[in-house]
Amino acid sequence: MSGGTDKPELIVNGKRLDGRDMGDLRAVKIEAGTLKNADGSAYIEWGNNKILAAVYGPKEALPKHIADPERAVIRCRYSMAPFSSLEEHGRSGPNRRAIEISKVTKEVFEKVVVLEDFPGSKIDLFIEVLQSDGGTRAAGITAAAVAFASSGIPMLDLPYAVSVGKIGEHVVLDLNKIEDNYSDADMPVALGPRLNEVLLLQMDGSMSRQDISKGLEMVTRAGSVISQVQKAALKEPYEKVSSRYR
Amino acid sequence: MGTIVVPGEVLERFNGRSDNVFFDGNKAYSKVLGIYDSERGMLTPLEGLWYPRMGDTVIGIVEEDKFNIYTVYLNAPYKGIAMSKFIEEPLAAGDIIEAVIKDIDRTKTAVLTRVRKLNGGKIISVKPSKIPRIMGHGDTMIKQLVQGTKCTLVVGLNGVIWISGGNYDLAAEAIFKIVEEAHTPGLTERVKELLEGKK
Repeated sequence: MSGGTDKPELIVNGKRLDGRDMGDLRAVKIEAGTLKNADGSAYIEWGNNKILAAVYGPKEALPKHIADPERAVIRCRYSMAPFSSLEEHGRSGPNRRAIEISKVTKEVFEKVVVLEDFPGSKIDLFIEVLQSDGGTRAAGITAAAVAFASSGIPMLDLPYAVSVGKIGEHVVLDLNKIEDNYSDADMPVALGPRLNEVLLLQMDGSMSRQDISKGLEMVTRAGSVISQVQKAALKEPYEKVSSRYR
Repeated sequence: MGTIVVPGEVLERFNGRSDNVFFDGNKAYSKVLGIYDSERGMLTPLEGLWYPRMGDTVIGIVEEDKFNIYTVYLNAPYKGIAMSKFIEEPLAAGDIIEAVIKDIDRTKTAVLTRVRKLNGGKIISVKPSKIPRIMGHGDTMIKQLVQGTKCTLVVGLNGVIWISGGNYDLAAEAIFKIVEEAHTPGLTERVKELLEGKK
């Protein structure tokens, strides 16, 4: 949303700058169980985004005052590596943006993880952006869902997230960095595919009611593709072992 | 073998109750990554956590000796406690014990009974969801391990295995093979080959 007079042309001859149509996703690749030390982990490559997600726990909630006697608490840390983007993203440690994304990500998983099974414990979620190209919070949530599932923590759903936005008259899906910077609106959405529950909806800029419903339609359509990739990633390590003995 | 299901995936037919399944309306859904056998209506978790239950045999490490209570680390978010007056030999922090869960209190702390100190040996920790496979149907797998390696094995349902004597390296190799290939058929035979080949 920088806008200004030097706004680049984002749609040329009916195609976006990277050659995609309005409703096209970037290529998504997920690998589950990347980190051996974590209880659950995943690595995602979403276009040029490269993100690691790791889940530790449930373990004893320390410091004690964060513990909830009724349910587990999730702590989330989203962080961008200092080398992750073309612009400088701080040296290290969370900034205002990272704290916000950590909070909304945590709230997504508080809805789907069965926290009541582990009262008084905590679950740590780490999302580390190694390379960013727009839509990292959506990609982070998608990877974190796989990390949660691969850790064995019970969940009611396997959420995914993707962003939609508006460039001029067009509603577009999955904005990359340059589109994100110069678009008229950007709306990341996280959905639980089982009931199509909205778990996260943020918006930067402005979109009409019709555009939003069109955007949400695009999200659910793209969601079936993302969900398939998530499921395939979770099954892959097991199928690899099984295939040795067929 | 069945199909692999992910959390939130609907199970066409499901018999009975399970920690790994939830119901919404009249449909059953999986809570975990698991193998669903639609013929028998059963879900076996591939990844899962251990919930302390009464009667579970566990292996823990003594963490602290507080006057008349020992607190025990159980490889879980919850601790175990053991009353020292019911234990014959005194324990110290760092001791490995085998015990049975007698009760679970309000804060999910497991009260332990029949505490037995395990002297020497080594412990390895595996995913608790793989323990049933390590035991095998009717304990066939574990018996085979004991026979093949001449080790003394104590298996805790919390995912901790204590190994003493015999061929430790072979026992550990076999256990890790079982963990990795737990979802494949014909595993008992392959473990047998491994044990016989390297005896």
